[in-house]
Amino acid sequence: MTPDSIDDPDLLLNAALDGELDAAGMMGIERRLAADPELAARYARLGALRAAIRQHAPREAAPEALRARIAAMAQTPPIAATPQRAPSARPTPWYQALAATLAIGLAFGAGADRLLVAQQPIDTTNAVVASYMRSRLSGQPVDVATNDRHNVKPWLAGKIGGGATVVDLSKDGFALVGGRVDVVDATPVATLVYQIREHFIDVTQWPNPNGAAGRERRDGFTVLRWSDPAHSYAAVSDLPAAELEAFAAAFQKAAAGESEAK
Amino acid sequence: MRHESIARPPASDRARKRFSELVLPHLDDAYGLARWLTGQRADAEDVVQEACMRALGALEAAQVEQPRAWLLGIVRNTAFTWLAKNRPKALLVTDDDSIFETAASAGEASPNAEEALITAADEARVHQAIAALPAPFREVLVMREITGLSYREIASAAGAPIGTIMSRLARARALLTANLVSTA
Repeated sequence: MTPDSIDDPDLLLNAALDGELDAAGMMGIERRLAADPELAARYARLGALRAAIRQHAPREAAPEALRARIAAMAQTPPIAATPQRAPSARPTPWYQALAATLAIGLAFGAGADRLLVAQQPIDTTNAVVASYMRSRLSGQPVDVATNDRHNVKPWLAGKIGGGATVVDLSKDGFALVGGRVDVVDATPVATLVYQIREHFIDVTQWPNPNGAAGRERRDGFTVLRWSDPAHSYAAVSDLPAAELEAFAAAFQKAAAGESEAK
Repeated sequence: MRHESIARPPASDRARKRFSELVLPHLDDAYGLARWLTGQRADAEDVVQEACMRALGALEAAQVEQPRAWLLGIVRNTAFTWLAKNRPKALLVTDDDSIFETAASAGEASPNAEEALITAADEARVHQAIAALPAPFREVLVMREITGLSYREIASAAGAPIGTIMSRLARARALLTANLVSTA
């Protein structure tokens, strides 16, 4: 969306606040804000309103009883159940796998992912999506909570060795929440957690770049893969695919800048 | 509402599998929207359950491009049907958006002073101000600020052109501002 297509300055300010303007449009509005104190004050007022709503009316999680009733709707009705064909060929519903992961995860931490990948040993997509869902449901998305990448890096180095790529994307609107260690295919790997609005983005990285790239949908989430000379990455989120692509582009740009600086 | 659903035919394996992939991940957003459209948490649970029934039925055939916007579209339709039946007074439907303009532009005097009043607002006042928004404005605001949908997704969920969504959202924020400033 560009400012030329919007006449009303009110709509323009709202679109800028909502991140709906393209880069050229954003540059235009920044210039106008700098030149027009009255407009800048209105923009600040919009920002204050957003902050008040976020602080006082955050999204509430669905009650557990409701969640259980809805999850039950996805189950096979017991009476109509057909004899199981090959049990191993029938994928475990994610919430069952999740319940198991949650229960055992308390004791074994991220190692419980092995339960999920046991059926499909090479399917890292399943593992990263399951980790994403588990961390959201458990309310503990990270093992180390910090918005400072200089804290995440040494923490990860202490757990799985050095070299993890940790970038600051706050300028792009993605706040660093922290990091954790996941286990994918018997290997401990680094996962970074970023946040935009109410949405989280998990980025898992492997030390061996395999060149894999692409986008897929799994369990209603988007998974995006890419590689650089140091690592291969998989990003998972419930964001719309286009926004996750924007995140990946920002991450790649920042990571490239980082390796040049070394 | 619940006894009606018993009469529905059982869903196919395929629909249930798609349901767990497309609907379950967005349950919090569905509940978040229903909670603000109905105004009551217990009512929101009924609406979400009914909406999920409809979604499961639709998944026998429906092509779903944007699962979250698709589900929230079903939730808002279910909520408005539910409100029309159970709380008809809660629905102020109007085609004349301009009647709100007077209220919206009332407090334009000093944005700086208003910003301070908004920042000072407490939880009860913010909740009251959101709840006081007419439904078409409230749904757009909640989809944007509380469930984090993009303009495109809101347009798809609410079944309205993107221009309408933008002007309603701007109006909703102006109404909220006027309300928070006037009750300060």
